[in-house]
Amino acid sequence: MSTPAKSSAKSPRETSSGTSRETAVLPPLDDPSVVAEHRRMKRRANRGRSFTYVAAIAIALWIIIPIFFVFSMAFTTEETVRSYPKNFLPFVPFSTETMRFFLGSEGVLKGLLNSVLVALITLVLSTIIAVPAGYAISRYVFPGRELFRISVLAVRAFPIVVLSIPLAVLFIRTGLFDSIWSLSLMHTALALPTTILVVSSVFASVPYELEEAGQVFGATPVQSFRHIVVPLVLPGIAASGLFTFVLSWNEVFAASVLTLDNRTLPALVLTSLANASPAFQFAGGFFLMVPSIIFTFFIRKYLFNMWGQVSK
Amino acid sequence: MKSRRRSLVPYFLIAPALLYLAAFFAYPMFQGLLLAVYDDEATLPLLDGPTVDGAEVGRLSQGSGITISDRQGNRLADADVVDNDEFATGLLTEQWFQVSGEGIEGDEVSGWMPESRLRVRDEAADGTVLGGTIRPRLGQSGDPSTALRAEPNESAAEIGRIGERVAVTVDETAVLEVWFQVVDAETGLEGWAPSRFVEVFSDDETGRIDRGTAGEFTTKFIRKMVDDRKFSSAWRTTLMLIGMILPLQFVLAMAMALVIDARLRFGSGFLYVFALPMGMSDLAVGILFFSIFSGNGLLNSFLEAIGVIDAQKLFLTADTQGWILFAIVLAELWRATSIVMVILVSGLQAIPRETLEAAELFGASYWQRVRHIVLPLLKPSIQVALILRTILAFQVFAVVIALSGGDVVTVLANETFRQYFSLRNNNVASAYAVFILLLSIASAVFYLRAVRAQEEVRPS
Repeated sequence: MSTPAKSSAKSPRETSSGTSRETAVLPPLDDPSVVAEHRRMKRRANRGRSFTYVAAIAIALWIIIPIFFVFSMAFTTEETVRSYPKNFLPFVPFSTETMRFFLGSEGVLKGLLNSVLVALITLVLSTIIAVPAGYAISRYVFPGRELFRISVLAVRAFPIVVLSIPLAVLFIRTGLFDSIWSLSLMHTALALPTTILVVSSVFASVPYELEEAGQVFGATPVQSFRHIVVPLVLPGIAASGLFTFVLSWNEVFAASVLTLDNRTLPALVLTSLANASPAFQFAGGFFLMVPSIIFTFFIRKYLFNMWGQVSK
Repeated sequence: MKSRRRSLVPYFLIAPALLYLAAFFAYPMFQGLLLAVYDDEATLPLLDGPTVDGAEVGRLSQGSGITISDRQGNRLADADVVDNDEFATGLLTEQWFQVSGEGIEGDEVSGWMPESRLRVRDEAADGTVLGGTIRPRLGQSGDPSTALRAEPNESAAEIGRIGERVAVTVDETAVLEVWFQVVDAETGLEGWAPSRFVEVFSDDETGRIDRGTAGEFTTKFIRKMVDDRKFSSAWRTTLMLIGMILPLQFVLAMAMALVIDARLRFGSGFLYVFALPMGMSDLAVGILFFSIFSGNGLLNSFLEAIGVIDAQKLFLTADTQGWILFAIVLAELWRATSIVMVILVSGLQAIPRETLEAAELFGASYWQRVRHIVLPLLKPSIQVALILRTILAFQVFAVVIALSGGDVVTVLANETFRQYFSLRNNNVASAYAVFILLLSIASAVFYLRAVRAQEEVRPS
């Protein structure tokens, strides 16, 4: 992309955007004014490109520096974490002391384990439920298809807070309260709409003709699904599973509302934030961030497919 | 697409999802709405006698003042005592013992008496009372002996008397549920109610209805929410944050989207970095920005290093609400701009390159192209992103708690959590949640309307 308007030379066409339309006859291409204009445009484009690089690097730094800060604090001594002014050199001195302190704090290992379990149960549940639904939306035309799609979309718009309180009341009544299962059920409800839409867009990207071609060559519908469609959609479904995992890993409101003794990591960190030491906070922040950094790396190919589809 | 003919297959395929969403989304959503406007302990029916199958004589609402005109104990089945949790808390029960021992006339007597008359001397390992002595009636003139009755009930017939300090064995134990005959202080309505629904004051004569058993629709939770001292600051802060964050966010997201769309070298690297905050936990981002703004954080260190300040400055205290708000805005900008960018890039990719090239050919400057071609064509994407972001912004929660302790600066989601977690008030918490829901719906409708109105005004 190119540069801001202030660098533009005063070409006749630039003076007013309205007049360009009235220029009915263009001068010949070798006309000196055309050549000069062409050169100006090229220069402008080059300057614009370097400006874009500067902007890109600035934005990248704005995003990376805070992450880097937390990471370097998570791998240093407790003394450095408490010290002031802070060292700007990263990982100096490098130490696992902060990490060990965090992992040794009460409830942290259990919280980590709970988080992993809840995220895995959520992943499995929502994938099992979403894959057939996503397949139906992308492969079949049936009355009520649009209605289903729209209602799934609408579900995404409802705030988590509205859902958490009545579910807590419900779970207390049924004795499911404060278990990793109840939280997984809740997280599945949160993840399901997005997962369904993503899975349907993944299926839609595999043309049905491929399946048909398989059948033409003598495969049964199940065989052609198994040997043609499944390998093609697997990466996409894995990406949506990753998304579900991270959603569950990050979710803090419902986790704090629905658990008491079986806290997940975010709920534990949130409720002990007030009297936590800086070392605890940094290491906690590190653990909360790691899955999302991996997740973003793996789904970057699907980024626009996923959200483009979902936001339609 | 297959199966244009009618088939049940797709319905089987979507059925699990539908059922799941009905059970864990629609149903709790409905319950949540109900919690906010329905009080299931609103009124207590009074009965014409001290039994559960008595006829209802009228209802008293929760909190009404009463006087107690009579009491009676009813024997409970053993199963009720063990199984019903409600009996464990707040229930006024009385134990009665069937005892046998030597009566005042020297004969062997056996009958029922209340626990207040027995000093327990012998207990089994599981706590079952096996025996004891009859308590003396200290400082009382009159008959010092204790009456034994045919049934575990004050009004049952007397079948014998037993003297003080006499050793007895306990043959059977009964638990009585105490019933009160109450009189409404205002209307004079009289009737019987189980003691566990009545709070008795220290004079033993007056009290109030603690909670009811019958529900009714009420606005009292909503009123309680509105009257809460944090309510107005919560919704004001929420709206103010949205007002500050969204415009900045869209400018930043647009810049990011245009940078990505420019297809630079290392473009996918930049895309990865730009998308990094998208999957990040809001709590982690709160901690991240707390570490920047805290007393011995990155910002102070930096400012001191370049010589702007010469002592630590405290940014996140009760006196520096402005700084806290600023930190929250920055944290939200950092965290949630990526998703807007992704939506905008999806929109940008749908704009035909030819259109932009044509505009460039006709001499449109970069800003002219952005202003007159990109932005109008991007409008649907912008609308989607706006709705999504606004709805999510109403739920800002962990960032605020991390940066302000959830106290100095408070937002609606925060208050919902406080009502539920600290004040244990599910109904008011639900009222807050419903308020957030209504605001979300209202803003979605507002954006859809605004965009449509704009389209109608424009002639082409």
